[in-house]
This record gives sequence, structure tokens and C-alpha cells, in this order.
Amino acid sequence: MTRHHPDSLTLMEYSAGNLSEPHALCIRLHLDKCPHCRSRVDTLDSLGAVMMEEQPKVSVSESIFDNILSRIDSEPATEPDRPAAPRMGPLQKLLGEDLNGLPWKRQLGDVSVLDISEKFPGQGEQVVLQKLAAGGKAPAHTHRGNETTIVLQGAFADQNGVFNQWDFVVLNEQDEHKPVAVGCEDCITLSVLSAPVKLTGAFTRLLNPFIR
Amino acid sequence: MTTLDRKPAKAEGRKDPWSQLLDKVGKHQDREAYHALFEHFGPQIKYYAMANGLASHAEELVQEVFVSIWRRSCLYDWRKAAASTWIFTIARNQRIDMLRKMQRSSAEMLVETEDLWQIPGDNEDEPVTSLHRLMSERRIRESLSHLPEEQITVIAKVYMENKSHQMVADELDIPLGTVKSRVRLALNKLKVILQDQNV
Repeated sequence: MTRHHPDSLTLMEYSAGNLSEPHALCIRLHLDKCPHCRSRVDTLDSLGAVMMEEQPKVSVSESIFDNILSRIDSEPATEPDRPAAPRMGPLQKLLGEDLNGLPWKRQLGDVSVLDISEKFPGQGEQVVLQKLAAGGKAPAHTHRGNETTIVLQGAFADQNGVFNQWDFVVLNEQDEHKPVAVGCEDCITLSVLSAPVKLTGAFTRLLNPFIR
Repeated sequence: MTTLDRKPAKAEGRKDPWSQLLDKVGKHQDREAYHALFEHFGPQIKYYAMANGLASHAEELVQEVFVSIWRRSCLYDWRKAAASTWIFTIARNQRIDMLRKMQRSSAEMLVETEDLWQIPGDNEDEPVTSLHRLMSERRIRESLSHLPEEQITVIAKVYMENKSHQMVADELDIPLGTVKSRVRLALNKLKVILQDQNV
């Protein structure tokens, strides 16, 4: 059971469809495992529906409906969109089945990193996987800008508590912490850092949230 | 297809009229029901496209959304989402999809829009909590009418114009903190914020 959740404002931006792809991925991974937040997003989606309904009406020409009918008639009989095979999650599509076997780059001590920003072209954000070896410690550090993190495997602890698999956390420059990987697995996290434009190029060190 | 102005039948039980129509499309490929949904939701979707900067693609978006509604209608479960909520999420996803396709080649799309933004009810493991879902839309509509204009304006910009809280702050020339507190006040009254912390 996850204990650390996205706040309502972030969920609203998700529901409205305004988050970047990597941020949406973090939320989606959390939602898949958190019925509580899933239900909050359902309510926010309903808010979206009501907002859409409240707007001024514009007319749509009837010929559009004819186009739609010819589109659906030209398609094979309504086969459900549901894929036959078990649906592969976004994480597997992006990273394959084995998180531990990725080409990790060893950094200081117990920390390894992998920059996967290029998997999200055009998003202007740095997306980084980090691995803290089981039982390992990261040096104390703060964060530059807002950093959104979701735990993909294992757990880490800092002065704010224990962050388990699928927990969601946002850290910024005020949050100095010294995370420790707890449990018997390596702790793997996915972090998204919105790089302020003026600082682009300065972000050559990839050590968040464990090190910065 | 004639342009008959078809009013949906009286709600059966807790299923609202639009959800009944969508159910008929899903179960029986009912084209009259589909047309009634088009007449009701088509203009909303067109306005949505115009409001968020896709004016020159507005009718194209309406088409994409309705083709998607037809294809997916067999997956629709009225106990998991009201039709209007379900259709809103499809419109949102089709908008995102359209923008993604304009910005890059499909070879670059490792994850599909639906992998990132879920349509309610797609996840079969999801428990059915119908009462809560259907109540919430009615409750939101009711509570919205009591919100101050300034809060509704902010929410409308987020949902209809797809502006981030920061962009809304810039546009209205008010601090980001003010935008956030207006949203929080509104979400509180709409009971979207149940418990934010340490649930």
C-alpha cells in the first residue's frame, strides 16, 4: 500500500491533460497501484466533464457525422480495442522487463544512474532512473528546482519517512535529505526534473534525488 | 441518418440518460443512440478544441473522438464512469494524441497516450464503485453553481484552455500562490480534496 501520494493540484493537472509525458507517467504508475488516488482522479475527470458541458455551445455540421459513419463503416466489424495479450505496462514498453539489468552507470559509492530523457523527445525535461544499492546510503544533498520521483522497486528512507514501491514524492531546494535504501532489494526510482531554461547545460550531474 | 432530435429516455435507476445511450452503442451498435450522443457531445468537443488552440482542427477532433467512442464503446461500463466523464477523458486523450502526432513521427512514440492517461474503466481490476462515481458528477454540477466566479475562471482555464497553474497566473497577472489557493478552495468545496496528506 502506498503512503505518499501526489497532491490534488497535480492530479488536477493530470486529469486536465496538462502534464508533460514524463510527469504523466509518474502519476499513471502511481494510479495503477493506488485506488485512493484513482478515485480522486475519477472525481476530477467528472469535474472536467462538467466544465466541458458548461461551456458555450457551437454547432457541428451534420456532414461531420456522415464522415464519422463512413469511417466506422470502412473499418472491420467492431472488434474491441482490448489487446488479446496481457497489456504491457508503460514501464515495460519503455524499459523492458528487467530494471536491474539496464546499463546502469555507477556513480559515487552506492548510487547508479541512467538518463532516459531521450525516450521523451521534445519534453524538455530530464528523466533519470536511479539505483541505490540495498542497504546503501547516498550523501546528504538538496535539490535544484522541483523534482518528481516515484519508487519503482525496493524502498528508501530519509527523515521524512519510508518511501515504498509506487510512492510518489516531490522534492525541491528546501529538502535536504540523506536517503538510505531499506529492505533487501536495490531501490530504483524514476525522477523527472523540469529543467529551468536558463540553467540548461548546467544539469550535467544526474544525481537526484539521491545526490545533487 | 436523419437529424432527429432525440431526447434520451427517462433514467433507469442510477444510470443517467447519456450513459444509457452509450450503453446501447456498446451493446447493440445502436446508431440512433450514437447520433444522439453526437448531437449532445459533438458541440462540447468542438468548443473544447477551439478553446485550447486547436481551432483549425476542431471538427477533426470531433471526428477522432467519435470514432474512438464507437470503437471503445463495448468496453464502456456505466458503473465505472458516467458517459460524460468517459467521453471527456476520450476527448482529452485524443487532443493529446493529436498534438503528439503533430510534434513528432510515430516512430518516436514509445508509449501511447493511453499508457499515460487512462480512460476510466479500462483497467479490469478496478473495483466498481458506481454510487460514488455517479453521485460525484451530480454533486460537482450542483456545487459549481455556488463557487465564486474567480475560482470557476481558474478551473475553466486549466480544463478547457489546458493552461498550467503557472500559465493561468501569468495570464491573470496574479501570483502562482493565489491561483493554487483558488484551486484548492474550489476542490475543497467540490470535495475532491478528501485527505491530501498521509492517507
